[in-house]
Amino acid sequence: MSAPRSFGRHIGQRRSRVEDARLLTGAGGFVDDVELSGMLHAAFVRSPHAHARIVAIDVEPALALDGVHAVVTGQDLRGVVEPFVSALGRPEVRTLVRDVLAVDRARHVGDAVAVVVGDSRYVAEDGCELVRVEYEPLPAVADPCRALEPDAPQLDPSAPGNLVADITLESGEVPALFDAADHVFRKRLKAQRHWGAPLEADGVVASFDATIGELTIWCTTQMPHPTQALIAAVLGLPASQVRVIARDMGGGFGSRARTSIEEAVIPALARMLRRPVKWIADRSETLIAGVHAKEMVVDLGIAVRDGWFVAMRADVISDAGAYSLFPFTSMVDALSAPAAIPGIYQPSAVAYRTRSVLTNKSWSGPYRGIGQGVSQVVRELLIDEIARALNEDPVELRLRNMASGERPYRTPTGLGYDGGSYRQALRAVCEMIDYDGVRGEQQRRRAAGHASCLGIGVGPYVEFSGWSGELGHAHGYPSDYFDSATVSVGPDGSVVISTGAQSHGQGHETTLAQVAADGLGVRPEDIVVREGDTATSAWGMGTWGSRTAVIYGGAVLRAAREVRERIAQLAGHMLECDPADVVIEDGLVWVSGSPSTAIAFADVAGFAYFGTEIAGHSASRGGRPAELELPLSVTRSYSPPQTFSNGAVAAVVEVRPDTGVVNVERIAFVEDCGTMLNPMIVDGQIRGSVAQAIGAALFEELSYAEDGSFLSPTLQDYLLPTTLDMPAIEIGHLATPSPLTEGGIKGMGEVGMVCGPAVIACAVADALAPLGVSVDRLPLDPDAVLEAIRRSALTGTHDAAHERPTQTGGTRT
Amino acid sequence: MRTVPTSHDPEADPVTIALTVNGEPRSASAEPRTLLVDFLRHHLGLTGTHVGCEQGVCGACSVLLDGELVRSCLMLAIQAAGGRIETVESLGRPDSLHPIQMAFREHHALQCGFCTPGFLMATKALLAENAAPSEAEIRDYLRGNICRCTGYAGIVTAVGAAARALGDERG
Amino acid sequence: MKPPRFRYLAADSVEEAVGHLAAHGPEARVLAGGQSLMPLLNRRLVRPSVIIDISRARDLAYIDLADELRLGAGVTQMALERSTPVRRTVPLLAQALAWVGSVATKNRGTVGGSAAFADPAAEIPAALLALDARLIATNSSGSRELGASEFVTGPFRTALEPDELVTEIRVAPDLPGTRTRFIEVSRRPGGSRAIVGVALAARLDDDRTCRSIRIALSGVGEAPIRARGAERLLIGATIRSGLVREAARAVNDDMDPPADALASRATRRSLAVALVHKGLIAATNAI
Repeated sequence: MSAPRSFGRHIGQRRSRVEDARLLTGAGGFVDDVELSGMLHAAFVRSPHAHARIVAIDVEPALALDGVHAVVTGQDLRGVVEPFVSALGRPEVRTLVRDVLAVDRARHVGDAVAVVVGDSRYVAEDGCELVRVEYEPLPAVADPCRALEPDAPQLDPSAPGNLVADITLESGEVPALFDAADHVFRKRLKAQRHWGAPLEADGVVASFDATIGELTIWCTTQMPHPTQALIAAVLGLPASQVRVIARDMGGGFGSRARTSIEEAVIPALARMLRRPVKWIADRSETLIAGVHAKEMVVDLGIAVRDGWFVAMRADVISDAGAYSLFPFTSMVDALSAPAAIPGIYQPSAVAYRTRSVLTNKSWSGPYRGIGQGVSQVVRELLIDEIARALNEDPVELRLRNMASGERPYRTPTGLGYDGGSYRQALRAVCEMIDYDGVRGEQQRRRAAGHASCLGIGVGPYVEFSGWSGELGHAHGYPSDYFDSATVSVGPDGSVVISTGAQSHGQGHETTLAQVAADGLGVRPEDIVVREGDTATSAWGMGTWGSRTAVIYGGAVLRAAREVRERIAQLAGHMLECDPADVVIEDGLVWVSGSPSTAIAFADVAGFAYFGTEIAGHSASRGGRPAELELPLSVTRSYSPPQTFSNGAVAAVVEVRPDTGVVNVERIAFVEDCGTMLNPMIVDGQIRGSVAQAIGAALFEELSYAEDGSFLSPTLQDYLLPTTLDMPAIEIGHLATPSPLTEGGIKGMGEVGMVCGPAVIACAVADALAPLGVSVDRLPLDPDAVLEAIRRSALTGTHDAAHERPTQTGGTRT
Repeated sequence: MRTVPTSHDPEADPVTIALTVNGEPRSASAEPRTLLVDFLRHHLGLTGTHVGCEQGVCGACSVLLDGELVRSCLMLAIQAAGGRIETVESLGRPDSLHPIQMAFREHHALQCGFCTPGFLMATKALLAENAAPSEAEIRDYLRGNICRCTGYAGIVTAVGAAARALGDERG
Repeated sequence: MKPPRFRYLAADSVEEAVGHLAAHGPEARVLAGGQSLMPLLNRRLVRPSVIIDISRARDLAYIDLADELRLGAGVTQMALERSTPVRRTVPLLAQALAWVGSVATKNRGTVGGSAAFADPAAEIPAALLALDARLIATNSSGSRELGASEFVTGPFRTALEPDELVTEIRVAPDLPGTRTRFIEVSRRPGGSRAIVGVALAARLDDDRTCRSIRIALSGVGEAPIRARGAERLLIGATIRSGLVREAARAVNDDMDPPADALASRATRRSLAVALVHKGLIAATNAI
């Protein structure tokens, strides 16, 4: 495997993180660490019913409690806070409206109906218990397929049939190709509800300064600037009067790429009460009412002719929950899953129907990889089934049908891949995992009647990154975005980078400094990166969809390029040479070929500001000419074209058919994100996302009963991967810079969640193939595996009345 | 008639809780129901210890009490009265990191940093009783600390490196 | 969430504790290690008006080994897991504890607390059942002894009266030649709340005759159960692989497992049979 090509002196270097010093010493600035004088604490009254009319709310007993300052209902907020309007600007997607506190109806367990403000969280919760809400329970629906039935409870008058959207796309001669196929293979997959589960719960602190009419909000958001604009709008304030601060944040993973109702309610309370108010979700709240994700039923058909996947057809039902996410709507999974159906393969025709369906559950939105991950599961499982049916090697079948990556390729679903190491990565990962060796071992164990079943899965993938307007359009999101970075050099040569990104573990203070260091010609130590404060950061849509390296890296490069040109002009004057002959590197500036002429970058900066020396630095003669009055602060935006990183993953698992326990033994990962900013950070993203993939594949689930009651209110129920769940992971890198983006940067981050659940599912299916087992749902916990074995073709038994109450998937066949 | 919980029960009202934290005597007034983690964070201003679940599952609240690793979200502050607490703030400062902290930094054992204080205290407890743990021992000891970002590999490597560094220090 | 208000009473001895229980029994909860009670309090799933904190009662923390092992109810799970007398004479307890929680929870959680919490899926109650342990319940009038099987009366319910406290657990040391195993399967491979767990102790003669066999299961009912039908098949019999398989299957008749969010009835049955089979093979070297 070749080492990645290095871009500059600093981009591509393994550099320890700037952020770590404060995070390691307990000095991080998370939302709950904010303490303001006079601060009060809020707690929400949340519906215990999945669906209920709110008949009346009596707040008097709560108000009477010592220490309670206010109790506010949805009715109280009418006219004070505008409802959230989730619209997508295209006719097929219905616009849905959500009151920030439910007024007429609670639509899921945990739906907030009132808020109590008290001296402490403890007292506020005491108050919540005294609020008397009279509910009239209504029939509820938890299964999206059930919700589509004509007699299902209707959740929103704006969404008849519980449909937020029903979109079809047909590209190419799909019916003809299916008719002419040698074989048509089909598969239905039920993907479970799960989510990012960041370790820090949601929180909001708001403070209103009435003297200047400025509202300051600290919150757990991945998108500070959009939140500023959206909250200002619903509160009836100009955005210029709202400041959003998102400093350190304990993870996001997409679950905080939204504006939450609490982010509107808490600031409204601060403004009403003229005192700072803090709300921190507890773990149950964040599980019950957070942004859920990925619950889908996908029916996939692949038409095969002469061993080629000639066409694909998919029907996607995406469970939106009770409300359409704000602001991105419920279409995140519903649009991204079908767009990703072809994956890295090249069917000439694709058709899909996708529906986003309302149910009485918490709203659904982004989680790392979004729909790509679920499409990868169903498609790769089906491809392995095709290989078994056609008696072909699953790797060869894939190699034949994959795009090569040698040239850009446009999918029938409208995505534009910019090329990469597609086949090389698959071959490399097979070598890394010793594919032939594992197959040999598998055969040996099967022949010997081994008690446990060995299985192997391989999966090549492409992963979108740099989610910009163009990528959004390709997915069916009509919006354009704005993302920018500011590079500023001070009179002493120190550099401040500010961007619209928001780091919540990705190390932007380190990586973007590396980018700027190469862009400017200074050392990373001389650069400070500031993000997450709308008062001081350049505007941007935030960090999600693997945007930062491509978009903000690109914007930094653009801005730095201009600042560097100005530095060169100034230095040309100081060194009496052509600016084109000026070399700037690691904070020194000299005439090309004559390093002895070097002056400090700081000297040039001082000259830019004062036209003369700053004490201690070398002089410049004659002051600064008028034409060299050049601001050393430049803001540039960047909206990249579509770009996709790629790679391949392989997994070896051992499955015990007597207990259903799946043990992931080894994972091999080959990854190509073009120009890497910092390989240490890239590896960290791979390892972290692979851990999440293990959880997604094997045991993570937000469970609801058929009546909508919520069954996963603690981390004993929603299980997260531990140190003991992790296999050995070997990682290799290839580097195919994008021909289209600034710096050839492709970005990555969702990686393990794009391809990981699929490869584990495939490995389990491979392990159990001799038993005739078909994998058609996740997670593959012991109960699911044993059930699959019971249902398998060879054992021939049906467990039609599978009694596990969480199965909201309708009839099991 | 006002129905109000036992808010006038004197034995539920705030009491002075005194204990030693990071080597210093500290005290504050808090209701008996105040969780130790809240007492540390909000009454004593030591915000390095984090709240992740209040169920004792995630380990973000881990501190040492009389040298033992405990979940501060599952203790009442009053239960620690008279005890000796160590939090992450006792380990080191940005300009003088503890070898465990240095190892975490070197091996990219943190991303968002929210779980990190809990892991650091768990690591301190582990290395105090096992100066040269194997990888399996490290993983088993840390199985009660959840990290959602890193996938644990960096943490496990860092703990091993810290063990060696501390061993070298002792000579 | 945060706990509701309660009156806090600290008891530094058994005497003080039962005194408080006599006064407040029905409205009080006992706080020992807190690893089971605090999660409930923090979610306000229980609302005692009085909390009696026995975590500092030194006269509850002892491990005495004479003719039998006597454990103070306040012994922490960690102390138990590391105790040499315990590991030597009743290794099943240490084996069960390897599956329990993690270091931090075991540093505070107590053996008496776990027994009194009576979680049907928990390890200690199942181990105590397999060991035919006896539990001493004490109130201000005196003490009484309860067998492990009568102690648990339902899910999270015991035979303790509102004014009683578990003060001691008594276990007979293993006879020489006893082999024990504890295995469980949970939803998460790295370990979490058990779906089904098996605690097993077997003693064979040199000629492989089974002299004693005790099999307890967690997670298959409202309380841990003894697989008495399976035990009857094995006791006095010569242990061979065929008999072991038959006994494991016979476990099916000893239980009526529930279906819930974690697993179906059929899964619980499969797991019980598989784990008993695995445990028996390990404990008896059946070939």
